[in-house]
Amino acid sequence: MSLASAQSATDVASPAKNRRTRVIAVLMALVGLFTIFVLGVGCAKGAHSILTFNPLNTSNPPWHLGQLTVATRWTNIVLGLAMIALAIEVFVREPRRAVMVRFGVVAVMFLLALLFWAARSPGPSPIDFVNVTSILVGASATTMVLVYGSLSGVMCERSGVVNIAIEGQFIAGAFLGSVLASTTGNFFYAAIAGAFAGGLIGLALAFFSLRYRSDQIIVGIVLVTMLGSLSSYLNLQVFTPYPNLNTGNLAPNLAIPLLDKIPIVGPLFFNQTGFFYLMIVLVAVVSFALFKTRYGLHVRAVGEHPRAAATVGIDVIKVRYRNVVLGGAIAGIGGAAFMAAQGQFVVGYTSGYGYIALAALIFGRWRPSGAVVASIIFGLSVYLSYNLVTYNVPISIYFLEMFPYLITIAVVAGLIGRVRPPAADGRPYVRD
Amino acid sequence: MSDAAAPPRRSLWARYSTASPIVVAALALFLGLVFGALIIATTNAAVLDAWRAIFHSWGGLPHALNVTFNNVGAAYRDIFTGSVVDPQGFWHSLTTGKGWPNTLTPLSETLTYATPLVIVSIGVGVAFQAGLFNIGANGQAVIGGILGAVIGSMLHMPTILHLPLTLLGGIVGGMFCGALPGLLKAYTGAHEVIVTLMFNYVTYAFLLYAVLSTPFQQPGQENDIGRTMDRSAILAPLFGTKSGLRVSYGIFVAAAVVVFAWWLLDRSSLGFDFRVTGANPTAARASGISARSVIVTVFLISGGLAGLAGVVQVASTTHYVDGGFLIGNAGIGFTAITVALLGRNRPMGIVWASLLFAALGVGGRNMQASTGIPLDLATVIQSVIVLFVATPVLVKEIFRLKEAPTTGIHLSTTGWGA
Repeated sequence: MSLASAQSATDVASPAKNRRTRVIAVLMALVGLFTIFVLGVGCAKGAHSILTFNPLNTSNPPWHLGQLTVATRWTNIVLGLAMIALAIEVFVREPRRAVMVRFGVVAVMFLLALLFWAARSPGPSPIDFVNVTSILVGASATTMVLVYGSLSGVMCERSGVVNIAIEGQFIAGAFLGSVLASTTGNFFYAAIAGAFAGGLIGLALAFFSLRYRSDQIIVGIVLVTMLGSLSSYLNLQVFTPYPNLNTGNLAPNLAIPLLDKIPIVGPLFFNQTGFFYLMIVLVAVVSFALFKTRYGLHVRAVGEHPRAAATVGIDVIKVRYRNVVLGGAIAGIGGAAFMAAQGQFVVGYTSGYGYIALAALIFGRWRPSGAVVASIIFGLSVYLSYNLVTYNVPISIYFLEMFPYLITIAVVAGLIGRVRPPAADGRPYVRD
Repeated sequence: MSDAAAPPRRSLWARYSTASPIVVAALALFLGLVFGALIIATTNAAVLDAWRAIFHSWGGLPHALNVTFNNVGAAYRDIFTGSVVDPQGFWHSLTTGKGWPNTLTPLSETLTYATPLVIVSIGVGVAFQAGLFNIGANGQAVIGGILGAVIGSMLHMPTILHLPLTLLGGIVGGMFCGALPGLLKAYTGAHEVIVTLMFNYVTYAFLLYAVLSTPFQQPGQENDIGRTMDRSAILAPLFGTKSGLRVSYGIFVAAAVVVFAWWLLDRSSLGFDFRVTGANPTAARASGISARSVIVTVFLISGGLAGLAGVVQVASTTHYVDGGFLIGNAGIGFTAITVALLGRNRPMGIVWASLLFAALGVGGRNMQASTGIPLDLATVIQSVIVLFVATPVLVKEIFRLKEAPTTGIHLSTTGWGA
């Protein structure tokens, strides 16, 4: 039944793939034109934007970079032209791969242009400079959470289980992580607690969807709803009377000697919390394990053709259990990382990051590397749209808040025709 | 194919035997309450203190058990008296003939809560029957509520025109919001789950924008409150404003929706197309049913009902929309998913499930007010119930039922994308 539905869905999606690529190209060109004429030509002639590079939080930076002053008008016109060039490239060449990445690049360039425009010097903004380093570092926190989430999705969906409960695993990981971080003061324990909590949710998902073959999306959504309410309940019942369980401290930055002194790159990659380094290690490990090891071969076989995998002696259910629990644990660490970046657990503050991570996974074609690229694009757009608020942009902040979600919809709707999920993704496996 | 479409009629006995979904639902309710009791017992300071005492002497055991049962019992008693009836008050009213409004308030509140829930859950249930997952019901209800409130507060005309126009506005708003995921699904293959989830966040942002911007914000207000609807646009209380009972003429709207859904699913050829598509897409395609038009129509109906629920919610309770309207993890659209599943996507099943969940929600408020146990417990219990309803085999194993319960809910949802 489910097989048939997938086929029919493919048939729905299959016609006019080329037309869709062209639609995206036209969309990109329109964004480019808007950038040129509204954000570029629309600026006063002498307007300029200042880019600074020194980190904001250290009073005595180890290095000092001069600020870069750019003419807002010309920068934005150049950015717009670059967008149009990309659009033309997509329209003419109709590249088989990475159309979405080009679209994402255009989206990020548009936000940058908006930022330059917002911070232009004879202008309405109270802040008249753009600190590139602090934007990159700020966006890296969002990106990190998304990477954890989409990596969790890769683990689960490569083995054929849809993990829509990433949001729930974030919540569980953040909650338990906060308790451990507050009681021990050590974020290493917070990470372990996060992994435990997330793994537990993964186990619940696996239990219902593998043992009882319940619909994976239903179980996932119900788990998210349940954890959302449970965390709110426990917040009132436990954190309110015992506030020392949720004291909130930011995870300390672990600077890597010397490397952290490199301008821009240093604060971005070498002066981060342990969660950031762990994320990089995990991406490498998961990529290697999935594509270079025997274990990964088994996982992918189970996700593509479970019956064939079972025929050669792979225990399908066991592989899926293991992957879903591991995936849950990864997302749980992501929740703890989010908590550690925010300072404490707050009810409802993951606000759909789990679902954006899911979209990043689709965008990244179920590959760890693709998920990282997608997470960077999504993370930048989420962070920039929140950041634009401080520049007094004449757009309501609520429309800016919609931006990441709209981008996600555009991504899922626009070019999904060419991405292919693991063949058995979301289908329960029935032993013969 | 007709087998798939029309379930065989069963005898009364078969309906209440252990194989029946009703029994499974009742057992799931029981398990949900047990789970809730466990949560109360393990997070309540008084209960934990009492249990800590048994580390000093075994004599504390009866006391600990006593405290546990008292606390859990008080919570569940408050849920019952807050949502159905308070036996003492009922007896008092019966013998003296006074205080009926007070006695009936819990029931009236439960009905008020259930009214929009029935409507939105039927919308979700219709989508489920066609094999589509509408998680965006919450956002659709928000947009419907906003549009209804705009028409109700910014246009002025007599009731006979105003009320229908307001309700229609809600339907149109919800339809618009539902059509987008439907069209995207039909023409680009975007998975409706992701798209509707994202639309929820878009609509929340739009709600905040709407209630904070000039034309719609309550004049003279700095806070996130929209304009109040005219008296001619609201769904008036059934027993008059003086009674203090909030249950409104909205229940007739809900009843009409139930009849409409029954007709649509059981009597119309459109509903037949929906169910065939949900049960077997290949067969549907082979028999000439257009997948695209089914998807779009289902989302129009589902979204329209969600929007109607949103406007009914506004017009029968607060009469204005504020920044917290239907928002939240336990928003009406998410409860609707659980209600539709518990009601097995059948109109009457959804009515009973809505009443149950409304009682839990309303009773939960009473529980929070009198015992301090947070209302969120009700949502947790609801989620547990649905987890068990979705896995009838597990219920069967726990209670060692002899007959195999009928299979759980099957959707034709698969992986993402194409």
